[in-house]
Amino acid sequence: MREIARASLQNPPTRAAVITGYGVVSPLGSGVRAFFEALVAGRSGVGPIAGFDAAGLSPSIAAEVREASISDPDRAGAFALRAAREAVADAGLEGAPPARLGVVLGTTLGGMRLFEAWNAGRRTDVDLERVPYFAPSVRVARALGCHGPVATTQLACASSTHAIALAADLVRQGRADAVLAGGTDLLCRFVVAGFNCLRATADVARPFDRDRRGLVLGEGAAVVVVEDAGNAARRGARLRGRLLGVGAAADAVHMTAPDREGGGAARAIVAALGDAGLPPDAIDFVSAHGTGTPYNDAMEAVALGRVFGDRRLPVNSIKGSIGHTLGAAGAFEAVMCLTAMAEGIVPPTAGLVNVDPVCARLDLVFGGPRRATLARSVSTSSGFAGTNAALVLGRA
Amino acid sequence: MSQHARPVAITGAGVVTPLGGAPEVWARASAGERASGAIATLPLASLPDAVQARATRAERVTQLVLAAAGAALAEAGLGGTEGAPDPGLGVVLGTAFGCFLTNASFERRFAEGGAPAASPRLFAATVSNAAAGELGIAYRLGGPGITLTAGGAAGLVALGHATDLLRASRARALVAGGMDAIGEPLVRWLDGGGLVVGRPASEAAALVVLEAEEAAHARGARVLAMIAGHASGFEPEPRAAGAGDGLAATVEAVLAEAGIAPEVVVSGAPPGLAALEERALARALGAARPPTIAPKDVFGETFGAAGPLGLLAALAAVQPGAVVLVLDVCASGHVAALIARRV
Repeated sequence: MREIARASLQNPPTRAAVITGYGVVSPLGSGVRAFFEALVAGRSGVGPIAGFDAAGLSPSIAAEVREASISDPDRAGAFALRAAREAVADAGLEGAPPARLGVVLGTTLGGMRLFEAWNAGRRTDVDLERVPYFAPSVRVARALGCHGPVATTQLACASSTHAIALAADLVRQGRADAVLAGGTDLLCRFVVAGFNCLRATADVARPFDRDRRGLVLGEGAAVVVVEDAGNAARRGARLRGRLLGVGAAADAVHMTAPDREGGGAARAIVAALGDAGLPPDAIDFVSAHGTGTPYNDAMEAVALGRVFGDRRLPVNSIKGSIGHTLGAAGAFEAVMCLTAMAEGIVPPTAGLVNVDPVCARLDLVFGGPRRATLARSVSTSSGFAGTNAALVLGRA
Repeated sequence: MSQHARPVAITGAGVVTPLGGAPEVWARASAGERASGAIATLPLASLPDAVQARATRAERVTQLVLAAAGAALAEAGLGGTEGAPDPGLGVVLGTAFGCFLTNASFERRFAEGGAPAASPRLFAATVSNAAAGELGIAYRLGGPGITLTAGGAAGLVALGHATDLLRASRARALVAGGMDAIGEPLVRWLDGGGLVVGRPASEAAALVVLEAEEAAHARGARVLAMIAGHASGFEPEPRAAGAGDGLAATVEAVLAEAGIAPEVVVSGAPPGLAALEERALARALGAARPPTIAPKDVFGETFGAAGPLGLLAALAAVQPGAVVLVLDVCASGHVAALIARRV
């Protein structure tokens, strides 16, 4: 079953990508410190929807960002901008941005709450420029005066994982000195009704549990600074971690259901390991997509088995804590991986009580955090339309 | 930049526009015909049966992509529709608006009928990567499946991203380019000031098959053109007096990477940003200004399709060996440039 990573060493990148800063706006609070401490404590940001009218929605619970200071109608843009500013400050780039600073954010909804109000004719004062998917990236790029590449990745729930991957490509190809990369998404009636009508949602997210019934939606933004290693060294930047490899692959099987053989997810991870030039044995920890839907989690157990064989390495999912933040999920998970490696502690999988026998091959971290020495981790994401993306991240 | 110089070949092309598909579209355009708006009839009949059935029941953006990609893959000789997904084949699509029209349909039904009226079928197609997913299933593309937006510059940004993936050996061949569908809610949003365009909005898809040059030669594929370089950037305040630094830096970067001088420039600016484009070209190219063409005057504003469509229009108009510089400039601030040489 095990697939050996193909090392693509015939074209080694001439530059290395490092991560020099990060920032989050999460249902567990703003700032990476608060976010990570809450994850380690196993706290959950899930509750009844209070931020908008949830009448007629069932279930009507989610993991909302409860920052009273964010009242901007362009919620996704406001999340992204705050997370980006934290990341820029963390990287020591405030007031001294590199000449070629780029922005690559993933989103599935962008300005959807504005779109809802405008499309239903309820409001005519909507700032229409903030509606499209590319609006959050544009807002961040304008606020920071960027002249480098600016793009928005649209790989459904793998969007921000691929945003970080695209940022790595831009830096390694010498197309940018640094890129603000991550994702942002928001909760609104549109998305809750959509997932409810697919019968994909539940009242509690229980990733990899035998009693899992579906996902719980979340919102927020996570942004990292992906920087050229040489640029970071020249300015004496402190590293938050290394971006060692990236990969993407499609299932090419079904539009909404994951490939039960885990084909696309396994190919994405193998591609990321190949890009890093690392064998599967070099990986110490996996941040799973782990949505808590019956099909996704069973698929991931198969996919991780295809890549890592019978070797048991720690695996977690943070979607029981912050919900499924869709286009922001992979970036949140990348920030969690970087912090877990730096501190040598894996946050538990909130909501998981009884491991599903079909997931028994995974060494799931649950019930409490686990101390471990972690040098390299894999973060994997999968989404609608059979899209998959993976990152290999290294400790600073 | 030796790594950048690794050549990437175009081995197939497919377009759908209000003036038809290739090759007749180029003859009609050069004869002075103009068309904009929606495409009346998509050429789905020439697709393989299984793909045609998939296209018939799909949302509009997917239909545009399947029609254009089917033509591109057939020309490249890579149009297999059976067997296991091929990890070496993938897709990189650029779109300004993605599934805007499907979102509007889903939202309208839900707003009017409440939760019982929410359609699972529609919701599954509200992700902008629906077209990439359908294309991957139809043609067994098991490698990277990527959709991105960079406003009206998304098409060239997608071609650039695909070029970099091939240069890094992360795929053997990629369907790449851009598309956007036009309909009432989007036109209403544009007219309301969502994005300043200045030309009639048009529906189109323009996709190519890209391969590393040696891979194309190894399988005996006919090479239509070579991509010599690409770049993208941003204009934080495109309407400010004197703006153009972002585009100028982008053009300078693509010229440095390609190392060859263009003989034709494909303009990408909306009328309101013509001065910005002019300033940037003057700064980057100096006195050596080749003639400029504007396919947008023929096809209208096709957003995500604009850059790839401009590239293919220019390649159809020049002699073998000629070098073209294609620009995308969007009022959102996104800018991109690409240099290709016709073989």
